[in-house]
Amino acid sequence: MRRLLRSLGFFLARLFGTRLIDYQTGKDLGKALIIGWRGKIHVVGLETAVRAVFLPQQRLTYWKQEIGFTTQPPPDYPNERSAISRKSK
Amino acid sequence: MENVLNVILTHQSPAEVDRLADFWKSTVDDANLLIAYGGPITSFPKIELENKIFIDDANLRTVDHQREGQSYTGIFRNVSQWLANNCKRADLVTLFEFDHLPLIADLNMRQMQRMRTEQADVLAYHLARVDGTSHAHYLYYTANAEFSRFVRELSVREDRDVVLSMFGTGSCWKREAFDAVAQFNEPFPIYFEVYLPTLAHHLGFRLRDYADQDLFVTNLGDRSGEIDRARERGAWTLHPVKNLKRLLFSALNS
Repeated sequence: MRRLLRSLGFFLARLFGTRLIDYQTGKDLGKALIIGWRGKIHVVGLETAVRAVFLPQQRLTYWKQEIGFTTQPPPDYPNERSAISRKSK
Repeated sequence: MENVLNVILTHQSPAEVDRLADFWKSTVDDANLLIAYGGPITSFPKIELENKIFIDDANLRTVDHQREGQSYTGIFRNVSQWLANNCKRADLVTLFEFDHLPLIADLNMRQMQRMRTEQADVLAYHLARVDGTSHAHYLYYTANAEFSRFVRELSVREDRDVVLSMFGTGSCWKREAFDAVAQFNEPFPIYFEVYLPTLAHHLGFRLRDYADQDLFVTNLGDRSGEIDRARERGAWTLHPVKNLKRLLFSALNS
């Protein structure tokens, strides 16, 4: 039942939601309903893990700012096992 | 040549477990196969495969896995202990859930090759950095101050805010990384898809993904009907394959 409701929620979000584009890469991030409610912005139905950031503006405007979305880069960290001995010293 | 231990996690009936083990034996040597059984204790003795361990861990047997913080720590600990007790040589340990099927005969070779190419200590499907994002598991654990304290205290890295996520099935571990994670005490229930990669990363190990093989490993649905197509498209494995009974019966008969 819960899975059915979840699927229905995703269906509605995809039907009525807005398409989000990664502001850095232009990649399609999927569709989501974005609703302002009780001082917060609720993102409904988005399946990609995104970061929200206020976007830089080339034109100075006092009346409007934009929030854009992007993703974290894929993990590519070196092995740092040698740091264990440094830490224990 | 490195030796790989293939651990199959299952809670199915003994007959199904043995059928699955027979299927795996077409890909890997018997000696390199270990069943980690999470089903009822009464079923465990009925499994015919010799290499088997019973996982007696309530944190594995959760119902709402994500919210209850399902744990694989018991599996890691038991496998690590089994390897030590049996003096088994295993340079790599790879973990597969029962509904994750190998589709190629040289699966372990390809995993080793990717580990070497990427200079990785751990390979995982759908590996992602999730801190600062809308990822549901990250948001759930970041609401718990204990989680970030735990990461900060154990980390050997400069950036102690990094949180990683991966799929539970199909990960491949260098023995050192596997044993290091197995020895670690989980501070409180943390869903293993966040706990395992985040812990390994902050212990200093290098994690990498399976690149385009991610396509063939998804979390929902049933891909039983896609096996031949996936193989044609170059899949090493396929997940989830739920209709195992019919599939394994026909595969073994043929």
